[in-house]
Amino acid sequence: MKQIMIALGAAACMLQAATVEITDGVPFVEVKGDDGKTYKIEREQRPGSYLTNTYALTSRPSPPFFIQPFEAAPKVETYGELELLDFIKNHQGVFIDARLPNWYYKSAIPTARNIPFKIFLNDTPEREAVLKSLGVVYDRDGEYDFKNAKELLFYCNGAWCGQSPTAIHALIEIGYPPEKLKYYRGGMQAWQLLGLTTIIPKKEQ
Amino acid sequence: MKRIIIFLSVAAFAVAGQYDKVKITPEISYIYVYHKGKAVKIHRIQDTKNKLTGEYAKTYHPGHPIQPIKINDKVRTIGEVELLSFLKNKVNKKEGLLVDLRSKAYYKKESIPGAVNIPFKVINDHDKMEKIIRVLGAKRLADGTLDASKARTVAFYCHGLWCKKSAAFIKAFLKLGYPADKILYYRGGFQMWKILGFTTVTN
Repeated sequence: MKQIMIALGAAACMLQAATVEITDGVPFVEVKGDDGKTYKIEREQRPGSYLTNTYALTSRPSPPFFIQPFEAAPKVETYGELELLDFIKNHQGVFIDARLPNWYYKSAIPTARNIPFKIFLNDTPEREAVLKSLGVVYDRDGEYDFKNAKELLFYCNGAWCGQSPTAIHALIEIGYPPEKLKYYRGGMQAWQLLGLTTIIPKKEQ
Repeated sequence: MKRIIIFLSVAAFAVAGQYDKVKITPEISYIYVYHKGKAVKIHRIQDTKNKLTGEYAKTYHPGHPIQPIKINDKVRTIGEVELLSFLKNKVNKKEGLLVDLRSKAYYKKESIPGAVNIPFKVINDHDKMEKIIRVLGAKRLADGTLDASKARTVAFYCHGLWCKKSAAFIKAFLKLGYPADKILYYRGGFQMWKILGFTTVTN
């Protein structure tokens, strides 16, 4: 029995030593969300793990799903996972899940705020409220003033998902500076393929 | 040659629609690329229930840090749409080369159509590296500088987002004097290619 315990202890030690880091020297990232909670984001630590859920699907029907270009629009920077983690850790701006709520509430990247892309498409009171919350104001002539508008980082389901590019295009059309818009193209699919932490967001009352 | 072109266009016409259920972009359902002298059609798996299984569905990769989105400010990172256009407009015309940096065994098993294999370990062999650059059309001048004005554009890929081979190899290429604007980085690599259901070939 004692021998087994020692063997197990040694095995546990070895497992611990083999922590799968996000990048060299960074075993995990802790990020505080708007809800005041701290989220720990790390990679899959269990040997033999595979992506098996709906994000393992290779072929979504087109339309509406097409492979998106690497860039959403000129001057809009495309982010990978490391750049995304820096953005949310430093609270550089607003991190937006542009998917429809039924997707978001199934699983999401920690600390993302769900603003479905459709909200950005039409001039509605709902869009007005969202823009205001992003730091957009009106100037004296009643035009949008984006001087203090926040940096926004968008994501949706992945390389085959047009929702975040659509939101980005709609914002550029109303004058949002493209330099303030970022696009995590890999989305939920790449995030999960890398074994990164997801959460099931709680529905607000 | 003319006959081949006619045949290809007739073939393209005849199968129009066959790969429309799961297209690549709104305009493109498939493209042809020359792989070892033979035309290979690249399209996406049309079975909408198909899931990625096997090695590239693995989410556990100890010792493999996630790679940054770009190598530096000058080397362009590309996705699948840009890679396909590179294959069609450059590789097919022998003006560009797509390089698979994984080991020979991986390449033999399965690769992106149009790709040639340069195993990453070649990086340690200076003479071979110089030879590769020469084959790509660059000239080492007497003063040691590299004349790459006639060199081909090269796109590199390896296993995927967590594979450091491409970044290290591209940095070695830059160090040898290869111009950054003739290098492309397909960061998604073989894993993203697979999970998007693109055609692969065995070698």
